Amino acid sequence: MIAQALMDGLIAGAMIGLGAIGITLTYSILRFANFAHGELISWGAYLALAVSGVLGYLSSDLTSSIGPFSFGWSLPLAAVLAIVLTGVLALVSDALLFGRLRAKGGSIIIMVMASFGAALTLRSLLEFIFTSKPVYYTNALQIALPLGGGMKATPDQLLTLGLAAVLVVAIHLLLTRTAIGRSMRAVSENQQLSGIVGIDVRKVIRTVWLLGAGLACVAGIMAGLLVQIRPHMGHDLLLPLFAAAILGGIGSVPGAMLAGLIVGLSESLAVQFIGAEWRAAVAFVILVAVLLIHPKGLFGRVA
Amino acid sequence: MTAPALSTQALIAGYERDLPIVRGIDFAIDAGELVVVLGPNGAGKSTLVKAIAGLVPIHSGSVRLGDRDVTAVPAHEKIRQGLAFVPQTENIFTTLSIHENLLVAANILPKEARSRRIAELYTMFPDLAARPSLKAGQLSGGQRQMLAVARALVVAPSVLILDEPSAGLSPKVATEVFRTLKTINETGVTILLVEQNVKAALAIAHRGVILVDGKLRHEGPAATLASDPIVAELYLGAHRQAVNA
Repeated sequence: MIAQALMDGLIAGAMIGLGAIGITLTYSILRFANFAHGELISWGAYLALAVSGVLGYLSSDLTSSIGPFSFGWSLPLAAVLAIVLTGVLALVSDALLFGRLRAKGGSIIIMVMASFGAALTLRSLLEFIFTSKPVYYTNALQIALPLGGGMKATPDQLLTLGLAAVLVVAIHLLLTRTAIGRSMRAVSENQQLSGIVGIDVRKVIRTVWLLGAGLACVAGIMAGLLVQIRPHMGHDLLLPLFAAAILGGIGSVPGAMLAGLIVGLSESLAVQFIGAEWRAAVAFVILVAVLLIHPKGLFGRVA
Repeated sequence: MTAPALSTQALIAGYERDLPIVRGIDFAIDAGELVVVLGPNGAGKSTLVKAIAGLVPIHSGSVRLGDRDVTAVPAHEKIRQGLAFVPQTENIFTTLSIHENLLVAANILPKEARSRRIAELYTMFPDLAARPSLKAGQLSGGQRQMLAVARALVVAPSVLILDEPSAGLSPKVATEVFRTLKTINETGVTILLVEQNVKAALAIAHRGVILVDGKLRHEGPAATLASDPIVAELYLGAHRQAVNA
């Protein structure tokens, strides 16, 4: 039972970690807690659903399951387009709302309140377009494979874990080994100095929106694949996401992923040992404890 | 006639339009010169160089880099046009390594030139070359200034502006910084330097300009300014006012 709780926690933690990376990047570079990040997760999931549906309609071959997985090629192909579209959605929200407030010198609290407004709008739009009825990428049932040590996982779950690991490494390499990654870290530390050394801060901000939204989309597709797709799915993940971003340390990608796993595992073990009704409280307790005891988190700077 | 390397025309600048700190400054620096901006506290020295660098709003007047008007050019574009600026504080990225600080600045160079230019700077600053992967936040005050100067030099600027590079440094380290600036100037880089350390700055400068209350009050060759009674009066006068206040 404990082994299975650990596996479930790891899978949930991988999704939380990916979402938290987006939160930590936007928080550290845009300097505000974006409460609309959850809606990017939901929109990513629904955009992938819509595009996947269109692709399946155009060619039924694309809906046939790939190997042991529950989905056909229509989903990975749709995911690529959905990532781009979620990025565009984030850029549009920046152009219409956050960028304008930034240009007017809007304080952090104004940006946060604006993100609440954006979240409500985006969530309501999803409910208006898709209704609040849960939907699924596939109706196929998967049998969990025994992994040894009392653990079981479906192929979809294992794919999700593997993909999360690959993405974390890729983003870490992007930040540490590429010019745009170094520029992002520089802007995160000091925007004025970044301008002085020739970094186009606006370009970096656009890149951060695209990257954060892309990761939110992937996290949304994972959540949709493993659980279900609902307009509130991203909003419901928001507390664990912020708990992971702050526990990992604002600005730290490995920190966000590690903390995502810790939050996921803690939630899963809480269900096992305390009761399912306490699951949601775990992220809150972690968040408050980190802010009180060690606000720098595991690897980053003060939240 | 060749245009000055850097010049300002009737420059008025400040953080708020109705409270200008720089109040109509005309001055020019010829290519290859090392000019020091002096003046009592609150004279507008730092605001002047920040306005030139694009960090403080310019309300009227103009800034020219050579024969180009760069008044409205944003800070991140000025470096591309050959104007490098080293702020007084927070002038390096402490969470990046020494090498990454240089790489970030080298982004605007053509790809093939980046490694070569950074290698040249490591030759010029051997202390930095010794530990390129060290986080810049772990450097001493003097090493940080050297990294900030090296970072500014990555793009081989035609004009280098520094805001009080000796602030907070021990006399020995400050002397080292001034010596380095003199060497850089001798390679042909035009330098505009804001300094409180009057004696040391005039010792390496060709010329000095003195600001008081946001206006250019006096200027002259460094050698004569060092013993100029007006300079002594401006500094000692300000000091006396402070003491009497």
